[in-house]
Amino acid sequence: MLAEYRHMLYRLRWQITGWAAGVVLYSLLMIFFYPNMADMSDMKEYLNMFPETMLAFFKNITVINTPMGYIDVYFFSYMQVIIGIFAVSAGSGLIAADEEKGILDLVLAQPVSRSALYFGRLAGIATALFIILAAGWLSWVLPAGSTGFALSPLQLLQAFLSLFAILLFFTAFAVFFSMILPAARMAAMLAGALLAGNYLLLGLANIYDGLQAAAKLTPLYYYQGGMAVIELNTAWLAGLLASFLLLVFAAWLLFLNRDIRVGGEGSWNLKIIK
Amino acid sequence: MSYSPAVDIKGLKKKYGTTKALRGVNLQVKKGEILGFLGPNGAGKTTTIRCLLDLIRPDAGQIRILGRAPRKDSLAIRRRTGYLPGELNLEGNLTVNAALRYFYNLRGLQGDWKYVQYLAKCLDLDMSARIKNLSKGNKQKVGLVQALMSKPELLLLDEPTSGLDPLRQQVVYRLLKEAQKEGATIFFSSHIISEVEAIADRVAIIRRGLIVEEAQPGELANMALRRFRVRFCGPVDIGPLSRLPGVKLINRESEFDATVQVEGEVNSFIKALAAYEVSDIQSEHLSLEEVFLAYYKDGKEE
Repeated sequence: MLAEYRHMLYRLRWQITGWAAGVVLYSLLMIFFYPNMADMSDMKEYLNMFPETMLAFFKNITVINTPMGYIDVYFFSYMQVIIGIFAVSAGSGLIAADEEKGILDLVLAQPVSRSALYFGRLAGIATALFIILAAGWLSWVLPAGSTGFALSPLQLLQAFLSLFAILLFFTAFAVFFSMILPAARMAAMLAGALLAGNYLLLGLANIYDGLQAAAKLTPLYYYQGGMAVIELNTAWLAGLLASFLLLVFAAWLLFLNRDIRVGGEGSWNLKIIK
Repeated sequence: MSYSPAVDIKGLKKKYGTTKALRGVNLQVKKGEILGFLGPNGAGKTTTIRCLLDLIRPDAGQIRILGRAPRKDSLAIRRRTGYLPGELNLEGNLTVNAALRYFYNLRGLQGDWKYVQYLAKCLDLDMSARIKNLSKGNKQKVGLVQALMSKPELLLLDEPTSGLDPLRQQVVYRLLKEAQKEGATIFFSSHIISEVEAIADRVAIIRRGLIVEEAQPGELANMALRRFRVRFCGPVDIGPLSRLPGVKLINRESEFDATVQVEGEVNSFIKALAAYEVSDIQSEHLSLEEVFLAYYKDGKEE
């Protein structure tokens, strides 16, 4: 398992570097821009000119000149989608990508169990996400003192934990889809579409109350984002992590009990479209 | 040579959708034996080998590898087994060295890297090259090194010399013979009769998911088909030639030219041909597919 874990991190090294660098640069840009936003006393009047529906869609935009509102609007309100792209893409390719390339045959001919391969690789992706988010967290924490950004490292950690949990959930979602769909690309597409769709649904639910009930059934509803700096909802966090574990477990069982496809194999045999 | 089997397959069946890939394969490979597993494309060679490694699960039948069941003791079996897939795919971005290190680490090997280097040297493999820049033959060498690196008790090789030049093919034969001397059992698939004749102790032939023949390599010569294109110096009646046992007229292009197929030994055909004035003769070995087509189409199959 350790060899597979190390190898997964080695394979993801450039992706980790790229994503972490992007998150760090963006975070630094935002935190150094914060003092200008905090000083804008007429911000409220300016925001009042915006349509109500738009203000409702971006929930915390009215408190954008507070540290919590600022980090929520400029970072946590869409990082779950941005970094979610990486999570979904890595998750869908966890096993299925190598299987489609015909690489998995040779790997599984070595004395490594399917479980060790699966969990070793999954741990590699989780570590990659952790590194990217840790880099982001440090980029907010380190300059916070010099920019007057009055959130403690612990408060920021709470928000990053919430982001980590939702990203793990969507990683597992993509892994699960890759076990039931015939191609990694399809799994990535479906998980990505659900992530984006869920994001839109939540925004719309802020505008139309009638959608709130549906929103509550979706995972992103339980992602606190910047709101977690005030108080981390541990029940929601635990719920997301439990769902992650459930999906991981289900995908693992599917992987244990199926044939390994040979390279190039994998499509639905739908006679109707032949 | 011990007679307890290293590989014991009984009634192995496997379906892909409606396609019956294996229809009840029965086969034993003795410990220390080199068994050539022959069959045309799509006969079920790769499916059989993948079942042995628990990469795919059979629908019916029993398998024992080194005395263990693949489904139950997969890890223990793979620890003692080296495998080369028929369609070898490796991570393109890795160097040969990194790819082999990866397999080495997965195997939990320690301190035997010199043997890996020895194998790479034997096969003239550049360890610093990137996999994506390698030719098919060189990728095959990487596959062979990873299969042999742990000096396994059982080698499952799916077309081991595919893509290799004749010189390297000889090296592979030598390495396999060396492995056999050290006690390894080798189960390799091929569709090249001459390759099987060169190294196998015994041959099993699979067709349409069933073992249709088990034989000694020498017996393959009787199965081997040769095709001769003969140009005569003048118009001839080749009736006496085509009536020889094992000889079949395939095509009579003109009064001067004829193509005949000879099954088994060619001695009587050559002697009979000496009675004619011949200006040119070309001989070709048929591929295994052609041999199968000719050999089994007259109700000899299964």
